[in-house]
Amino acid sequence: MVGTRRRFLGAAGALVGGALLGGCGAEEAGREPPSDAEVLGRLLRLELAAGAAVIGVAGAELIARQDALHARRLAAASGAQGREPAAAAQDAATALARKQEALFAYVEALPLLVDPELRVLVMQIAGSEAEHLAALRLATGKDPVPDPFAGFTDRMAA
Amino acid sequence: MSVAAEVEQRFAAARTDAGLLKAGLFVEEVAALAYAAAADGPLTGADRAQALRFARHERAHAEVFETMLFALTVPVREHATGADLQALMPALRRAAPQQAWERLAELEGAAIAGQQLLGRRLQALDALRSVATVMAGGAQHLVAIRDTLADEPVTKAFETGR
Repeated sequence: MVGTRRRFLGAAGALVGGALLGGCGAEEAGREPPSDAEVLGRLLRLELAAGAAVIGVAGAELIARQDALHARRLAAASGAQGREPAAAAQDAATALARKQEALFAYVEALPLLVDPELRVLVMQIAGSEAEHLAALRLATGKDPVPDPFAGFTDRMAA
Repeated sequence: MSVAAEVEQRFAAARTDAGLLKAGLFVEEVAALAYAAAADGPLTGADRAQALRFARHERAHAEVFETMLFALTVPVREHATGADLQALMPALRRAAPQQAWERLAELEGAAIAGQQLLGRRLQALDALRSVATVMAGGAQHLVAIRDTLADEPVTKAFETGR
């Protein structure tokens, strides 16, 4: 674990140091940063995809209901109309992959949000998605917490 | 005062990014000490192994906060000690296994609530990504603890730590 921790810490340090030294990349490149509604609209699409992937997965009924609550809050906060995608493969591996993608997206979106209350909302949903990952692993007899950073160790070091 | 209230007070008292990150560092360091103390005290077998693993996770989380403080060129001269753990969770070593897990869950929840306060107040917004990865790890610890305690449900729709 020491190796993965070092990789994560190196990436985390570069991320934070770069942010402090470099300011906002999007603004410096002359691009308009996305509005909060646009950021939440993107998250809503990912949430709906992750939610669809758990429908029908054994033991994931509560997770599916909680995903529906996430989607409702995101739709209300963004003003976007999320369309429910068709239920996906209905297997735990696909559900885990979609959930991990959604968690990555929530975390990466945080600095893009101007409204502090929306940042807190996204953190609350990200916490829930991290829990869903652990619960899905538990339901399939796996270690619920294989990584101290909920799957980010490899992601940030890549 | 409860563990949650004491941790909340520590985060609430911070007025700068450095202060907020120092509060985050303290809580992760105390959590590492708490899991290790529970492993040395009331927990045995698989529970003990789980606590030792989570103690290592918490040390990794603390290192992230320390890295963020270094990036802000803030030196870290103080670290949480056994005395801090004793002050915050005095009965942990003497607790029954179930009570120990309940106290650890309370501390994990308090850390999550504090990290979400950073989401509201931190000025260096890019640092929030690293804070959120730690928070996500803590939320997964909560699922494992709730499962151990047979608490239902093991997940929340909006994890506030409370």
